[in-house]
This record gives sequence, C-alpha cells and structure tokens, in this order.
Amino acid sequence: MSRRPKVLVVDDEPDYLRIAARIAAGAGCAVMTAKAALEGVALAAAEPPDLILLDVGLPDISGFEAARRIRRAPATAAVPIIFFTVRSEVDMVSEGLALGAAGYVLKPFDPDELTRRIRAAVSGK
Amino acid sequence: MTRAVHCATADPAAAALLRAALKGLDLRFYPSAAALLKVWKGGGAALIDASLPDMSGRDLVAVLRGAPRTARSVIALAGPGPYSPAAAAACFDNGADEYFTFPPDPGLLKARLLNLMARSGRRPAAAEAPAEHSFGALKVSPEARTASVKGMQLRLTALEFDLLMYFLKNQGRVVSRGVLLEQVWRQGLETGTRSVDKRIEALRSKLGRAFGSKIRTVFGLGYIFRL
Repeated sequence: MSRRPKVLVVDDEPDYLRIAARIAAGAGCAVMTAKAALEGVALAAAEPPDLILLDVGLPDISGFEAARRIRRAPATAAVPIIFFTVRSEVDMVSEGLALGAAGYVLKPFDPDELTRRIRAAVSGK
Repeated sequence: MTRAVHCATADPAAAALLRAALKGLDLRFYPSAAALLKVWKGGGAALIDASLPDMSGRDLVAVLRGAPRTARSVIALAGPGPYSPAAAAACFDNGADEYFTFPPDPGLLKARLLNLMARSGRRPAAAEAPAEHSFGALKVSPEARTASVKGMQLRLTALEFDLLMYFLKNQGRVVSRGVLLEQVWRQGLETGTRSVDKRIEALRSKLGRAFGSKIRTVFGLGYIFRL
C-alpha cells in the first residue's frame, strides 16, 4: 500500500490553520501543523513532508524567510511550497513565486482550488 | 501604435487557440504567473488563463488590478467552458475587464479586446467603479450601499451590507467566523462567533430563499457563498 503524502501547514491564524489542515486531510494527505515559522522549519527538517502550505505573515520570521531556510536544508530543498496569504501586493507575490513556490494562493481561498493545488503538488504534476 | 497582448497560459492548446483568434496582434506568451509578473509592467493587455500552474487566474487578476503599474491596463480572464455567469461575476468583481471561455469566438474576442485597449488609453486616473453590480435578480450598489432582489429594496443594516459585499467579493471561497469578525466586524474573536452566526441568519432571511440559500454553512469551517 502506498503511503499517504504528508503535508505541513504553517499558519499563526487558528482558523486558517484548521481550514487548510482539514482541506489537506480531505485531499487524502496526512497533516502536520505549526503555528510559527521557526516551528515549521524545525518540523520540516525533522520529518520532511511532501508539501508545505506556508503563510507569509508569521509572528517570528516571515514565510519567505522560512522558505529560504527550508530550501537551504538538503533534506527539504526540493519540498514544494505553496504560500497562502492575504498579501496580494504584486511585489510580495513576485517575491514568493521567485522563491520557486509551487503556488501562491490568496486568502480567503476557494477550497476546491486549494484541494486541486495540494493534489497536483503532492503528485508532482 | 501597436500594443502587445500578454497571454499567460500553460496550456499549448489554449495558446494555439489564442494565436488563431488574435492573428495580427503582437502576442507574448508566458507559462506561469511568475513569468508574466517578471516581464509585464503594464500597457497593452493581459489575457490570463483561469488555471495557471502557480496561481489561480482570478487571484492574479486581483493582484494586477491592485498594482499601480498594471491597474489601468486591460486585463481579461479566460475560463474553462461552458460559460458560467457566476464565474464571470466573480472575475469581474476581482477587477477583470473581460471574461470569456475556451474556445473563444475569434472575431468577437479580437473585437472586444481591441475595443477595450482603445478605451483604456482614455481611462480617467481613478478606476471607474460601476454604479451597480448585478447578480441575476440580486442588484447591489456599493456607493449608495443599497441592495435589491427582483427590484425590491432590502432593508439591510450597515453590517449586513458589509457582510454581503464581503461574500460577493469572495464568492466560492471559504471564510471562517474569525475571518469575518476581523474583515467585516473589524474586531477580534473576543466579540464571539455567535454574533456572526446570528447576523448571517438575518442576512439569509433578508435575501430570501433564492439568494439566502447561497450562503452555505461549511461544518466546522465557516461559510461559503456561491451563486
């Protein structure tokens, strides 16, 4: 039996953390969660997931900085990252995508859209 | 003056259809939102596929419309067929000038795009907000802060009107009670999520069965509004 893909959700807003975790579980994934960026980076290093859903405005370091650290660690360098955030300024979106993100999703999001993106990212399509 | 049409699509079949439909225009193609954002600094038009590999077209339209360099350019969104008025309304609400579905009618698409590009040069500095948005029988006027269903004016409180506008702007997106408290009530969770539920019940009832039922409760998550 093939194992379920693992998704790490990092968000300091409990509502979005819960919603995104529920959607990822609904997409057939095992879910880990973190409420802060550094906690997410540590969790990813300890147990590399197949996908990271990463908020941008986090309380300790930004999601972009967290993504850079995740990319620098060999064990997580290739893990796809989808940013999901309220930050819709063009410079922020450009910066996020330039970091090699697999996706950039604006909050509030369409659950079907997020499900599609999670499935595509964990299947490598 | 020839102005380029910047097409963002990762689908070769869609690109071929656009090439055929927009023959004679200066077309530039980008396979992702990231590629378009890197190059397009406004001017001419952008034609965006609804499903790009790195972003939804609808989100990208909102980003471009909010950016000073591209805010006044023509932005069109191309969705999958068949044509859905709800998808079109959501895309116009995010700031698109035009919405069409694949496969486009070549003559019509080209004429509409050229027309929009010609008019965009004459746009005033401030974006023109439409006086009234129509969603079938539901009509909403943001400036007058009024809403009506089948011509009957709804007696909404200020908060209910803000709630309706927020749902219309975020159609098809799941919104939690906490997010509504933050974005509509402008308050934190201490206000209590019960007040959200009660206000939504009131809004549903005022919208009547046809539109009230479009605000669906998503168990354990919040609400979603789909027309």
